[in-house]
Amino acid sequence: MNFNSRLHRALQIPPLTIAEIVASEVAEKHLAKMEGRYRGVLEAAPDAMVVVNQAGNIVLLNVQAEKQFGYHRDELVGQQVTSIIPEGFAERLIADGTRSAADALAQQIGAGIELSGRRKDGSEFPIEIMLSPLDSDDGILITAAIRNISKRKAAEKHLAQMEGRYRGLLEAAPDAMVVVNQNGAIVLLNVQAEKQFGYHRDELVGQQVVNIIPKGFAERLIADGTRSAAEALAQRIGMGIELSGRSKDGSEFPIEIMLSPLESDEGILVTAAIRNISVRKDAERHLAQMEGRYRGLLEAAPDAMVVVSQSGEIVLLNAQAESQFGYRRDELLGQQVKNIIPDGFAERLVSDALRSTADALAQQIGTGIELVGRRKDGSAFPIEIMLSPLQSPEGILVTAAIRNITARKKADALLLQKMDELNRSNEELEQFAYVASHDLQEPLRMVASYTQLLSRRYKGKLDADGDEFIAFAVDGARRMQRLIQDLLAFSRVGTKGRELIDTSSEDALDQALINLRGAIDDSGALVTHDPLPNVKADEMQLVQLFQNLLGNAIKYQNPGTPLVHIGAIRSVGGKWVFSVQDNGIGMDSKYFEKIFGMFQRLHGREEFAGTGIGLAICKKIVERHGSSITVESKIGQGSVFRFALVGSDRK
Amino acid sequence: MTNAVRERTLEVLLVEDSPGDVRLTREAFRDANMHIRLHVVTDGVEAMTFLRQQQAHAESPRPDLILLDLNLPRMDGREVLAHIKADEVLRMIPTVILTTSESEADIISSYKLQANCYLSKPVQLDAFESLVRSINDFWLIKVKLPQRIVAG
Repeated sequence: MNFNSRLHRALQIPPLTIAEIVASEVAEKHLAKMEGRYRGVLEAAPDAMVVVNQAGNIVLLNVQAEKQFGYHRDELVGQQVTSIIPEGFAERLIADGTRSAADALAQQIGAGIELSGRRKDGSEFPIEIMLSPLDSDDGILITAAIRNISKRKAAEKHLAQMEGRYRGLLEAAPDAMVVVNQNGAIVLLNVQAEKQFGYHRDELVGQQVVNIIPKGFAERLIADGTRSAAEALAQRIGMGIELSGRSKDGSEFPIEIMLSPLESDEGILVTAAIRNISVRKDAERHLAQMEGRYRGLLEAAPDAMVVVSQSGEIVLLNAQAESQFGYRRDELLGQQVKNIIPDGFAERLVSDALRSTADALAQQIGTGIELVGRRKDGSAFPIEIMLSPLQSPEGILVTAAIRNITARKKADALLLQKMDELNRSNEELEQFAYVASHDLQEPLRMVASYTQLLSRRYKGKLDADGDEFIAFAVDGARRMQRLIQDLLAFSRVGTKGRELIDTSSEDALDQALINLRGAIDDSGALVTHDPLPNVKADEMQLVQLFQNLLGNAIKYQNPGTPLVHIGAIRSVGGKWVFSVQDNGIGMDSKYFEKIFGMFQRLHGREEFAGTGIGLAICKKIVERHGSSITVESKIGQGSVFRFALVGSDRK
Repeated sequence: MTNAVRERTLEVLLVEDSPGDVRLTREAFRDANMHIRLHVVTDGVEAMTFLRQQQAHAESPRPDLILLDLNLPRMDGREVLAHIKADEVLRMIPTVILTTSESEADIISSYKLQANCYLSKPVQLDAFESLVRSINDFWLIKVKLPQRIVAG
């Protein structure tokens, strides 16, 4: 069957009369020509083409339709179109009461209608059909161009999926995201960008990005003669650029933006991730400030400062540490602290089973530990270190303040040596005073005794000069004897002192009164006293103390009856304060200190005899008892001497 | 202070190395008692020779009283005292320590060695003379001594 006859049959052209045939001879020729063209068009169409009559029967189809639906042409021609397009097509061919079939079609024609095709094997696939009416002798035929849109559908679905994902990604981003085209116009943004800049989305899309990032962004989008936009961008992409953002209210805030290019149909778009770094900036500034302060503090410290990690590594040090140990900073950083403090420091950082590092440290913190430091040249020097813990992200760090105590050590040693020398020298001096006075006493006894013997046996037997000279010799020897005896007594306070034991001060006073009986009787003095307590004392020395003070009280008197009173009152501190009060000649306050010194006398020998040692002995005795002696006096109104002694438990 | 009962000469041994002290003691005893014969030796070794009547002292009398200084050359007073008190016969002779030392240690050690008494020499002449008179009054007059001490 040739195409013509097929077409004829397809068009169901009824048989012609003779006249018609004659007339049609010409028409047929034309028709054949037309039909050939039409057929060519039909077969050349990229889409499946199916021509359907008003009754829904397929009257014509092309090879694409055969392929599309998997039928042979013969199998489809004359068949209902619903066998290949089950729904939506045939219905469109039917006129209803309100419109003609032509009207119904007119509404659809030209619009791509998406329907479902069914292949011979029963499988379905999405199609888009375009209808166009074809007036024919048989009425209106419908030519349907049918396109398999499986691929497009899949692509569309993928695209929608991609876009959804992309959108989701955009919105989910923690940063403000703005997509800008090469012209600097904003094409897309996320909710964070809205919030960040205080605009509604509509207010920004299509606007220039300089509105929200005044400087440094738009410039980066622009190519110049030497490089393409892509190159310009490439230089920036991936680097965080710190810029300034401007919100709708005009306020500016520091931002960091990260750019990435996005190939698109509209050319290269630039996606900018924008982060508000106000907080970070503040934190950075604060941190820098703190670090500056801390560093300043560290460097200003008078001591060498070394910060050490738990593993004993030096993590920080100051200039003093450099000079102290003779290293440059970089030579020590990261090194073990053992290099500069061989023993005793690193060990302190180590915890054991019984205690945590913090506990181990706690025991040491705040106490000065004396250790040995070692310089780069290997020389060692004594140090004192003070540790303090420092909580840090790296764990507990230990700050050690290290002081070179060479000078102090030397000073300590020197002081000890000096004290030793002083003690020895004091001892030697006392020993010397004792030995000297003791040994001097012997020859002096001879001098004194024989001058007295001379005086006694030869007085009046020599001339007047002889008597006078002997008298001076006797007097001198006697005074020297007293001096030496007092010196001896003075040196004995230190060298011959006894243990301080429970002693009745009243007994001591009684003994002193017995020793002074002669002087008391001679002067007619009236001596009274309070009940006196038991005290911790060297009894012999206490007797001597009372004796010296009483002796003075009786000696330094105006004509009249000397009145002396010995009192004792308990002080707030629990000590007994003794007083020896007289009604004697008294003294000026300027002598209050002086009278307790060695050989200090306020009076001429002719006035009052004495060596000037008595009160020095008193002072020494009282000091040996852990107290001090004071005097209160007014000229002509007597004196009061006071000293304190520790009471004894025994009463 | 002479006593009619004791007409015989009293022998006193002074062990003293200081000539000044020897003379003072001699002077003081002369004033105190005319019947005393004062023998003087100047060191411990000689003191023992005298007491044991040996060598140059073979003819020396047995003393009625010994006045012993502690600090002496060659053999000191403590040693002399120990020898005397270790001797059956010599220990009967009253031995008086007469010294300048006032040291408690010397006092204690002397009595431990059975000194009959311990006296410190006063520094004043008057006091010294008074002390010598006391020695005379007590040890040479009041005290009953054996009539004759026979050598052992």
